[in-house]
Amino acid sequence: MVTLEHSVPRTAGGLLEWFTSVDHKKIGILYLSSALVFFVLSGILALVMRSELAQPGLQLVDRQTYAQLFTMHGTGMMFFFGTPMVIGLANYFVPLHIGAPDVAFPRLNAFAFWLTLAGAVMAFAGFLTATGAAAFGWTAYAPLSGDAYSPGTGADLWIIGVALSGVAGVLAAVNLLATIFGMRAPGMSMLRMSIFNWNIVVTSILIAFSFPALTVALALLWADRNLGSSFFEPAGGGDPVLYQHLFWFFGHPEVYILILPFFGIVTEIIPVFSRKPVFGYKGFVFATLLIGAYSFSVWAHHMFTTGAVDGPFFSATSMLIAVPTGIKFFNWIGTMWGGKIHFQTPMLFCAGFLFMFLMGGITGVFLASPPLDYFVHDTYYVVAHLHYVLFGGSVFAMFAGLYYWIPKMSGRMLSEGLGKLHFVLLLVGMNAAFFPMHQLGIDGMQRRIPDYPASFGYAQENLVSTAGAFLIALAVLVFFINLFVSLRRGPLAGDDPWGGYTLEWATTSPPPHHNFHRLPPIRSARPVFDERRENAQAGPEGGSP
Amino acid sequence: MALLVMVGASACVPQAPSVQGRAVNQLYGIFAVIASIIFVVTAALIALSMLRYRAKPSDDALPAQFEGNVKLELIWFAIPTVIVVVLFILTLQKLDVVTERAPDPESIIEVDAYQWGWSFTYRGEGVNISGGPHNDPELVVPIDRAVAFEISAEDVQHSFYLPRLLIKRDAIPGRTNRVDVEIDEPGRYIGKCAEFCGLLHAEMNFVVRAVPPLEYRAWLIERKQDDGNA
Repeated sequence: MVTLEHSVPRTAGGLLEWFTSVDHKKIGILYLSSALVFFVLSGILALVMRSELAQPGLQLVDRQTYAQLFTMHGTGMMFFFGTPMVIGLANYFVPLHIGAPDVAFPRLNAFAFWLTLAGAVMAFAGFLTATGAAAFGWTAYAPLSGDAYSPGTGADLWIIGVALSGVAGVLAAVNLLATIFGMRAPGMSMLRMSIFNWNIVVTSILIAFSFPALTVALALLWADRNLGSSFFEPAGGGDPVLYQHLFWFFGHPEVYILILPFFGIVTEIIPVFSRKPVFGYKGFVFATLLIGAYSFSVWAHHMFTTGAVDGPFFSATSMLIAVPTGIKFFNWIGTMWGGKIHFQTPMLFCAGFLFMFLMGGITGVFLASPPLDYFVHDTYYVVAHLHYVLFGGSVFAMFAGLYYWIPKMSGRMLSEGLGKLHFVLLLVGMNAAFFPMHQLGIDGMQRRIPDYPASFGYAQENLVSTAGAFLIALAVLVFFINLFVSLRRGPLAGDDPWGGYTLEWATTSPPPHHNFHRLPPIRSARPVFDERRENAQAGPEGGSP
Repeated sequence: MALLVMVGASACVPQAPSVQGRAVNQLYGIFAVIASIIFVVTAALIALSMLRYRAKPSDDALPAQFEGNVKLELIWFAIPTVIVVVLFILTLQKLDVVTERAPDPESIIEVDAYQWGWSFTYRGEGVNISGGPHNDPELVVPIDRAVAFEISAEDVQHSFYLPRLLIKRDAIPGRTNRVDVEIDEPGRYIGKCAEFCGLLHAEMNFVVRAVPPLEYRAWLIERKQDDGNA
């Protein structure tokens, strides 16, 4: 038995506590809450877009507003929902998974969160300026994002806001790496860590090395706009393609930043609900490391149509990365195979994830082939692909994780009935919203257009897609109702409602300030499972006089 | 059923009326078939494992706790590797077709994109066609002859996109991209801007009218005179 002793720090209590806390669990919840707020905000922007696209003609918004909508939808989802959601979950569960009382640098942790939030608020504050928010797409391609074509404060607020949250991301990543490498409990060797933690290791490395490229791109863009430089202005000797290289050197690892942690979550949940260990732990870790390494060599597949990159090289690396991603499916299947699978809500969302991400992964291979990319690049085909990956993949896995972990964070179970309703609505809504987009892309509907002539024949698919978007909104509403009701009146969770494997289930729900009063011995990747089994075996003998 | 969906999806790609486009058609078809097989097999395995191994009520005994199988894992590392190598080789073959430059194209058309419209200049012919929203420019090209497009932009980035021909290439200020197309069916093909370029991005359309070579020559001469008189 390992006992951890800590002096109890002073806490402010009440609302002030949330503003001043350096406890990783409170900061984790702050990250999750702010991420969900921006999920809803960015989702509302998408609903307005889908409403506009439901039929030909401009009905709801003008072109300028529409450009702001898709810019801030993408920006919000990628930078202020996706990344903070990942960091929030890691914040809460990395220290718990390795048996640590907190992260390595608690104050830095708090600083990173407040910086992220400041950046998010700053970028969205563009809506309050006279010329509106940034309106050049979340990718902010130069020279369109330069001062000549995008004057207005919203664009500068966007640059500074995204840059701040990017720097905050690097701080959080460094903190997580230091925590994982330096604060594991006795017995917790690297190869006994949870798969979730392994995914956070790789994700943090990706953040630490890719976000600086974004910071550079944004700094140069800001200089072009405000200091008269011409890094990306051809008239002054600059090169717009340079911006794209910098952006996508960040942007493609970012995609893995937004999916690897969710692979991790799914790989925590499937074994627990199958009552088996993960199939091929070491292979899974190896595949994750391989994805992390490859992800830095695929960026220019976003730039095939520029004609300025080596198509065969980036095609080869982009297709290769499908291999370690693909073999994870076999690990998940192998984990379920021979198990006894319990389909509670977290597992249902994992099931949804498996099918939806499979679809998104497969269309990704099409986009890795330059001749096919010349065909569908910048069309709704790409929009369909990325939403199957990031919505069908990441968001489904996120909901799996929330249903799995909110009982630990709050001490109360979420409603199974509402959870299942949420799942069904989301699955139907997501496919209605995004599947027709494949055909729209094939038929030549390009991205980022507020309107299309009736003669192009896009109306039917767009109407279905819009209906799907509103079903998604309904599903998310059900989730929040569930959250609202269950956090007040849900049944108590107890320490370990699911029969978990990893260390967070060895402490109370919610855990005490310093996380653990005692730790079980750590002899495998499933210390809580091991102890439960030993107790069960010792139980009858110990019980008899 | 998913197979039908994917094969159906490949059938939903209309046959392109050009040499380069048909190479894309063929490649897409092969990708769609292989992708369908992968999707169906994997989805079936997922569904099978879920249905077959779902827990029965009141069965609390632990299943066998096996943790992996190295041989199996090596096999399923190898299978996707072989598949992507095959897809990559096919990609390289078709990439040559769609990026090949005709040594002696019938015409070289300089494409200049701007906010918001297109300017098409027939090099050496003294013909220019340009226009923007509500005045879509219509250029004429010969069928059965290679035509080279040299694509650039004046202000921000645009993208020269001919949906029915299954091609697209960015128009980037300070750079020139060349795309060669050989159309073999007469017709009017709509062109678009694919890269978001500001307010009227959605309206930046143009039309490519493909006509028999003799008609094309006649059109050029007529057009040259028109421009000369103007």
